[in-house]
Amino acid sequence: MIHHVLVRQYAMQSLLLWSSCAAALFSFAWVRVWVSSLIDMGQFRTILEQFRDFERFTPIGFDALFTHTGRIAMTFDEPVVVLCTVIWCVSRGSDVVSGQLSRGTLEMILAQAISRTTLLLSHAAVSVGGLAMLTLLLWGGMAMGIANTTATETIPPPTVRIPFTVFEVPLSNAAPVKESFLMSDRVDWESFGTGVFSLFALGFFLLGLSTWLSSLDRYRWRTVGAVVAIYVVQLVIFGLGKATDKLSWLRGFSFFNCYRPQQQVAKVLEDGPWGPWRFTGAVDDSWFGPVVYPLMLVIGGVLFYAAAVVVFRRRDLPAPL
Amino acid sequence: MSFPAQRTENLRHDRSGFGDGLNVRNSGGDTAASRKAEAAVRVQGLSKRYGSFQALTDLDLTILNGTVFGLLGPNGAGKTTLIRTLLGFITPTSGTASVMGVDAIADSVSVRRLVSYLPGDARLPREMRGLGVLRFFADLQPCGDLQRSLDVANRLDLDLHRFVGFMSTGMRQKLAISVVLGSRAPLLILDEPTANLDPTVRGDVLAMVTEAQSDGRTVIFSSHVLSEIEDVCDCVAFLRKGRLVHEQSLGSLRQRHRIVARIADVPNQDTSQGQVHLTVPEPYRELVEVSSVSGDRVTLDTTGDLAPLLPWLHGMGLKEMRVEAFGLRAMYDSIHRGSELEGLEP
Repeated sequence: MIHHVLVRQYAMQSLLLWSSCAAALFSFAWVRVWVSSLIDMGQFRTILEQFRDFERFTPIGFDALFTHTGRIAMTFDEPVVVLCTVIWCVSRGSDVVSGQLSRGTLEMILAQAISRTTLLLSHAAVSVGGLAMLTLLLWGGMAMGIANTTATETIPPPTVRIPFTVFEVPLSNAAPVKESFLMSDRVDWESFGTGVFSLFALGFFLLGLSTWLSSLDRYRWRTVGAVVAIYVVQLVIFGLGKATDKLSWLRGFSFFNCYRPQQQVAKVLEDGPWGPWRFTGAVDDSWFGPVVYPLMLVIGGVLFYAAAVVVFRRRDLPAPL
Repeated sequence: MSFPAQRTENLRHDRSGFGDGLNVRNSGGDTAASRKAEAAVRVQGLSKRYGSFQALTDLDLTILNGTVFGLLGPNGAGKTTLIRTLLGFITPTSGTASVMGVDAIADSVSVRRLVSYLPGDARLPREMRGLGVLRFFADLQPCGDLQRSLDVANRLDLDLHRFVGFMSTGMRQKLAISVVLGSRAPLLILDEPTANLDPTVRGDVLAMVTEAQSDGRTVIFSSHVLSEIEDVCDCVAFLRKGRLVHEQSLGSLRQRHRIVARIADVPNQDTSQGQVHLTVPEPYRELVEVSSVSGDRVTLDTTGDLAPLLPWLHGMGLKEMRVEAFGLRAMYDSIHRGSELEGLEP
C-alpha cells in the first residue's frame, strides 16, 4: 500500500519545510518555558485578574493558569505553534493531487506501475509521520525547557483578613522572600503528552481536509484557498460561540471545539496521568469525556483521507497545464 | 486535392488488413510471426465524453506486437485522450481497451507495468538532479533499468548533474526520453517525443525508436511531424474529432505514386468539348486512378509496383512526366480537409 521509493521522494521534497517548522517549534517551546519562568506568578495573577471579564474568550479558566503547568500548557495555543502546524498540514495536504497536477509531475509518476491509492498513502505516510515528529519535537522542546530552566518566585508574607471586610493586612514588614527553584521540581514534562496528542489530532484533521480538497481539484492555489477559507470560517464560528451564551451552540459546529490541549493538561493535574484519556467524566462545557475530542478530530481526518482515496481513484486526471 | 472514390475503397480495405508486411494475423507456424500477430493494443468501441464535448467516438483500433504505430491528427483529435485512456488516467464513457491482453480499464496498474510512457509535456521533479530523476524512475518502474537510462542520456549528451529546475526545455525533454527509452517495457508510448529537440537529437531519438522495434518492442508514436511518422512507423492511424477516420500501412503508402504529365497523343482518349477524357485500360484499372484532368494536363495516382505500368505510360506518349511519391502529407491533407470524410469514415 505504501511504496518506499515514493516515500523517500516525498520525504526529500518536504525536508526543507519540515526542518524549518521543526526548528521553529522546538526552539519556541524551549524559549516559551524560559519566558514563562521570567514572569513572577504573583504579578501574573494580579495582571490576569484584571481581565476576568474576558475569561470566556480563553481556552481555559484563569485559575488553571495560576500554576506553572497551566502557563506552560498555553504553548499549545500560541500562534507560532498553531501556525507551524497549519503550514505543514495545509502545504503537504494540498500537494498530494492538485499540487502535483499543477506542477505536472503526477503524469510521469502515475505512468509507472503505481496505483493511485499507493501514491496517496505514500504521501500521507510522509505527511502524517512528519506531523507526528513535529509535535514530538514541540514536546521535546518543552521538556528541555523544563529541565534546564530555573524560576524565581516571590513568596508573599503571611496576611490576616480583617473580619467583615475584604482587606488583608500583612503580618510582617520584612521584604518578600524570593525563592529560586528548578522548573522540573514543579512541572512534570510528561503532563503535556495529552496536549501534544491534541495538537497532532488537530493537524491530522487539517491534513485529511487538505488532502480531500486536493484530490478534488487541479489547482493547488485553489485548494490552499479553500482550506484557509474553511479554517477562518470555523475560527469565526468558534469565536462567536465563545463571545456570548446566546451563541454558544455555534461552538458545536466548529472543529476548534475539539482542540482542548490546555483542558487536557489541566485534567492531568486534577485526575492524574490517565485523567485526560477517559471517555467519561465531562467537565464544564463538555459533552463528552476528555479523550473523545481529540479522537473526533482523528476520526474526521481518517474520514477525509478515505474520501480522498475514493475521489482520487475515480476521477479523470487532466493532462498537465 | 481530392481523394478518388476508388482510392477510398482501397484505404478502407487497408483498415482491415493493415497492408503490406503487417497483415500477418493469419500466418501460422512461425513463432515470431505468431507473436507479432498478437495484438499489443486492442480498442473496441471506445468513447469518451466530457459533458457536451465528445473526445472519442466509438473507436476501434488494433496495434500488432512489434510494430511502430503512428497516431496522427490535428490538435484536439483525440490522440492524447486515447493514450491516457490506455494508461488508466481517464475512464472511458463506453468501450473496452486492452494492452498485451490486460484490461486497461479494470487493471491499469498491470498495464502500466508493461508500458513506458513519455507524455507530450513531460514534467519532472524540479528539485532533483538529472541523475536522481533517472534513479528514481528506474526504482519505480518494474522494467526500469538505470544503466540503460544512463546510456540513453549519454547518447543524447545530457548533463545529469544539473538540477531539473535549471535545465532548458530541450534538456528536460532529453531527460524524460532517457527515463522512458531506458525502460525495458514491451510497449513504448511516445507522445510527441521530438518536441523541443534539435535536428541531430531528433535523428538520435528516431534511431532509438527503430532500435526498440528491432528488440521486438511495440511503439505507439504520436506526432505532428509527418516526416518522422513516415521514417519510423509501420502503420499510421488518422484521428479527427475523436473518430478514427483512416488507417494506413506505410509500406503500401510507399508504393503509391502520383504521375503528373502533359498528354500529347493518347490512345483511348475522348476529346469531346475540347477536354481530354482519359480511359484507363481494363488490365490497369486496379493500379491506376485518374485523379484529375485539366486541359492537356493529367494527374494519375498509382498503387503498387510501377513497372507493369511503364509500357502503357510509354504508349500514351506523355510529355514532361513527373513521378512523385504519394506521401503522408497528401493523405493527411485529404483526410483532414474533410470534404470526402464521409466516405472515409469507418
